[in-house]
Amino acid sequence: MAKSENTLSRSALVKAIIASVLLIILVFLGSGNFRELDAALIPYLLGVILAVFGITYRLSVWLQRPPTRLYWKRMGKLSLAHPIKFIQLLFRNLIFQKFIYSRGKDRWIGHFLMSIGCIAAFGVTIPLTFGWIGFVLKSGSLTGYEAHMFGFKAMSFQLGSFIAYMLFHVLIFCSIAVIIGAMIMLRRRMTEEGLVATQTFEGDLLPLLLIIAVAATGLGIAFDYMFLDGKVHQFMSVTHAVTVILFLLWIPFGKFIHIVQRPMQIGVNIYKMEGEKQGMAVCPLTKEEFATKMHIADLKEVTLETGFDFRLKNGDNHLNYSPEGKRSLLAKAHLKAREDAGSYFG
Amino acid sequence: MVTTEYNKNMQFFTDMQRCIGCHACEVACAECETNGQDTMIHIHYVDRANTIQTTMQVCMHCDDPVCANVCPANAIVKNANGVVLSANTSRCFGCSNCVMSCPFGVPIKKEESELMMKCNMCYDRTGAGLRPMCATVCPSNALFYGTPEDIEERRPHSTPVNKFIIGEQEIITKVNVMMPKGSTELTIH
Amino acid sequence: MAKLPVSEEKIIDQFGPHKHYPPLGGFKGVSNPDKLVKTHCCFCGMQCGIQLKVKDNKVVGFEPWKEFIFNEGRLCPKGVQRYLQNNHPDRLQTPYKRVEGVGFVPIEWEEAMSKVVSEIQRIQKQYGNDAFAMLSGVSLTNEKSYLHGKFARVALKTKNLDYNGRLCMVSAGAGNKKAFGLDRASNNWSDLKHAEVIMVAGANVSETFPTLTYPIWEARDNGAKLIVVDPRVVPFARTADLHLDLRPGTDSALFGAILKVLVDNNWIDKDFIENYTSGFEDTVASIQDHTLEWAEKVTGVSAEKIYKAAEMWGKAKTSFALHARGIEHHTKGVDNVVSMINLVLATGRIGKPYCGYATITGQGNGQGGREQGHKCDQLPGNRDIENPEHRKYIAEVWGINEADLPGKGLSAHEIIHAIHRGEIKGLLSICFNPLVSLPNSNYVREALEKLEFYVAIDFFLSETGRYADIVLAGSLHEEEDGTVTTAEGRVVRINQVVTPPGKARKDSEIIKEIARRLGSGDKFNFENSEAIFNEMRVASKGGTADYYGITYEKIEKNMGVFWPCPSLDHPGTPRLWEDRKFRTPDGKAHFNPAPYRLSAEMPDEEYPIILTTGRVVSQYLSGSQTRRIGKLVDQYPEPLLEIHPELAAKYGIQQGDLIRVKTRRGEVTLPANVVATIRKDTVFIPYHWGGCHSANLLTNDSLDPVSKIPEFKVCACKLENTKEKAPDSKLSNAYQSFSH
Repeated sequence: MAKSENTLSRSALVKAIIASVLLIILVFLGSGNFRELDAALIPYLLGVILAVFGITYRLSVWLQRPPTRLYWKRMGKLSLAHPIKFIQLLFRNLIFQKFIYSRGKDRWIGHFLMSIGCIAAFGVTIPLTFGWIGFVLKSGSLTGYEAHMFGFKAMSFQLGSFIAYMLFHVLIFCSIAVIIGAMIMLRRRMTEEGLVATQTFEGDLLPLLLIIAVAATGLGIAFDYMFLDGKVHQFMSVTHAVTVILFLLWIPFGKFIHIVQRPMQIGVNIYKMEGEKQGMAVCPLTKEEFATKMHIADLKEVTLETGFDFRLKNGDNHLNYSPEGKRSLLAKAHLKAREDAGSYFG
Repeated sequence: MVTTEYNKNMQFFTDMQRCIGCHACEVACAECETNGQDTMIHIHYVDRANTIQTTMQVCMHCDDPVCANVCPANAIVKNANGVVLSANTSRCFGCSNCVMSCPFGVPIKKEESELMMKCNMCYDRTGAGLRPMCATVCPSNALFYGTPEDIEERRPHSTPVNKFIIGEQEIITKVNVMMPKGSTELTIH
Repeated sequence: MAKLPVSEEKIIDQFGPHKHYPPLGGFKGVSNPDKLVKTHCCFCGMQCGIQLKVKDNKVVGFEPWKEFIFNEGRLCPKGVQRYLQNNHPDRLQTPYKRVEGVGFVPIEWEEAMSKVVSEIQRIQKQYGNDAFAMLSGVSLTNEKSYLHGKFARVALKTKNLDYNGRLCMVSAGAGNKKAFGLDRASNNWSDLKHAEVIMVAGANVSETFPTLTYPIWEARDNGAKLIVVDPRVVPFARTADLHLDLRPGTDSALFGAILKVLVDNNWIDKDFIENYTSGFEDTVASIQDHTLEWAEKVTGVSAEKIYKAAEMWGKAKTSFALHARGIEHHTKGVDNVVSMINLVLATGRIGKPYCGYATITGQGNGQGGREQGHKCDQLPGNRDIENPEHRKYIAEVWGINEADLPGKGLSAHEIIHAIHRGEIKGLLSICFNPLVSLPNSNYVREALEKLEFYVAIDFFLSETGRYADIVLAGSLHEEEDGTVTTAEGRVVRINQVVTPPGKARKDSEIIKEIARRLGSGDKFNFENSEAIFNEMRVASKGGTADYYGITYEKIEKNMGVFWPCPSLDHPGTPRLWEDRKFRTPDGKAHFNPAPYRLSAEMPDEEYPIILTTGRVVSQYLSGSQTRRIGKLVDQYPEPLLEIHPELAAKYGIQQGDLIRVKTRRGEVTLPANVVATIRKDTVFIPYHWGGCHSANLLTNDSLDPVSKIPEFKVCACKLENTKEKAPDSKLSNAYQSFSH
């Protein structure tokens, strides 16, 4: 079980190196041969490159597992075949995370605020770090700004305008959302007894604390800039950089890996939808539909690949039975064994 | 409640022929704080039109769990005490591979939450030296949690078996099924 | 006057039954409760030990009590969910009065009490004291049972007090008194452990007393053979060594035939019969025609199986006989009981280790409740209300003139008849839901409508309570201290876990207050439950059910004490008759002739099928409590008509078809559950629901001449296939019990 995760995988290593190099090339091209890079953001850039290296390595190892590989293959194809459904699910599952709502309303609010804050913040800061976008004063103006994208002028706006306000404060909004969300989640983890019993500090609490630290130090930079005339800028920017880079480097190793794994859920839904079109499997015992035929066929392959042979001598397969059917089969076999021994009871 | 450690000498013993179908295990399971009012044990009629026979199924906690092997998200792990834990909620993306391939039909897919859940052998209780909820309340001891010595004394005509044969496949589990004296395995097919 | 004040829908909307579920993740405080209180389950005579979790004066969960000697933490689904009746949205928290066209309106206690008392006084002045009746419940503690007996006779001064044990224990009680001169399980459950053969008749142990399954399984592990007598393959009969699936109503024929085989083969204990019993010859003479061939025809069980049962029973060295409502709910309930006891006496297997006999008490305090004097013919200590000596003793304890002590009153169903006849005009009920639990419910409803005044004390508004003029919010099991006596005869402590919510009051406080206002306050100066218990001990002293030597402290120290316990230094009596000194007038155990006779209503051409009724594991009696607990409702949401595939085929009935079941008294339409686990000539309906789903719209209200128990277990019915499929059980909302 999960053997491959613990030993060094050469092919994953190669993929990780390729991904990292590819990213550097993209940054090089997007930032006008590094000219548009903001020197203050270089540490963040290095952090992102290392994170991409780690994530690629981790995902590659993950995809070497037979069930994952099979899903990946199926989903890639199916997602392309159902673009509208894909976008629908993207909104439902990744943006709005409807599946968390049914696990609890507070839980959904907390998680949604946290995730939307993180996604929006990364959406702004990563292109900035890569030098892919930048804001410059219009030449000859004191209040007119230009937004540059990949070295080209994308738009212009006036200082004090609504757009300007939004653009310069988006990270503040993100930080506030993240802090509120993380606080809700933290409170849940401190008060719900079931969670208290099973959670671990490094697995569940530390990630929340780290996210709060990132958002708080980010707010600190803005606070300093707005109210303290930059007196503690040095301190704030260093602590923010340290927490952000820790966060980035930790993605491949801990709880945050789910951020990059979660999109698989879209595929699962499309896989199921497509499978339903192709037909449902009916349990020979309960006579009820229980899964898609495609899923059962795939599982026969995957179980064999992972070392389990559920084929029966009569050409049937244990996997043809629904979960309820399998439980009844066991009970019937148990009854028969008792019967053969001469008593239903013993 | 005195909190102690997981008691390695305690084991789970089940016997489907002792089940009276009362569902005490099912409602008690949902009272476990870790489940959030979801029940993880299965209890149902086997073939109600012809017989009153019921069966109950807890997670058998396989030595080499099929569910963990077929999980594309690596969300299922077996802990140091051999307890196969329910899916890690942040990782599981609800593919149902475990549900459809578990040879005992144990995991449950919570459709709304797009999440798999399964019996943890009441890890919050067993981890603190208590008996699992279902095996504590079961009025017929179809579900029993105790020491091997205890079960041997209580059940002189039965033997615990933890080897199951499905076709050519052999599955070894942590949970035992009580079988006629002298049995060594249970052939399901 | 007491028709429903507003539509049933409106009443249900306000008072339920509503399904109650714990919130996701459980109630607040479930893992850090303020306290964990050891008490007992409120359902059934097993009285399993349980610990309730309390947070902020609310019950928020439970924890198994694995040290309690009988159940060691084991529970049934009702026990697991019992905590949800507390903190329930339907809970009555204040008195209400009926207002025509408006419904039930909350009022203050002062208004409620003065109305109740003035109506009692008006009716009694106008029609006589006995025109005001009282119906009590046997889920109540010993203290309350005693209090109600004293209240009715001393404060209400009526002879017409009866209790819902009339639907439960009375045939067994009467049979036990006839045979042994005392009404209690002869043995405790530990005597099951090494019994060689266990015969269980008319007791669906696996659904009605699930926790008794383990002691039976334990005995089987020790080699016991299990014989189950039941028209259906109930869950624990499936693996039994012998299942006698007899035709309902033929128990005494079966037992008579078995006794004849025992005698013919000399599988009897002649020494025991000669020295310690009487009536053997007469009894044997009465069953000479009960041959195996005859019995096969009458009971529908093969002669071979009957012989086999007799052989297993006859050849064993130790044995245990158990029965419950299945043989007792008959117009010959007492006959059935004594005919089973005859098998025990013939083999002399009583009063010795692992040789036992017991009726399995149904209600929570079915045993204790029937000893403390809230039965129409009984005084505390299981004394006889018509015995001059008994009357004298109790009158003395109560400080009244013996002449003022009312005589024998009417039994529960006779009270309904008396209301119809206009003899009874007023009614006080507590924890009794006759509209669901008595047979022939249409007749019962008409009676309720005829009452001039009806006051109901309860914690939920039951189907019957909907017809009340005044509803008084009483207390739940966990809201008042007390004791109950389990089916084994073990007196255990019920601990107060929380105080009644809102303006609700303890039952005993309500009764004491009414007594005070009726001018008998000086007789009801009890400071607390223990004070009532202490007076009860004295009242029971010298009676057959002697509690004198039992104290709260002693119960707590020993996890229960078995009565009789005549003195403080007496350890209690877990096993009766070890001294062979029976409590009958001649000191001997009595054989009683009980030759087979027909049930009151037999199938005929018009009504060709036998209808029998019973319970399911997730519901308790009239369902007033359990139909409010979400998961218990969901487990078996509505009553189904169990029918054999062969009988179903005759009517073209398939699984899930809606079937109209008709008897001479009413009709109900229920979904068919086509199963091979029932006799081909019998259909079964569980009885926990009211309104249009009520099995008791159909049942026969003929009574046993001795015990006055109604014949719930046999009547004749006919079936009509509506050819419609039943809707999803979630849509039927049967648990709410609409009348249409």
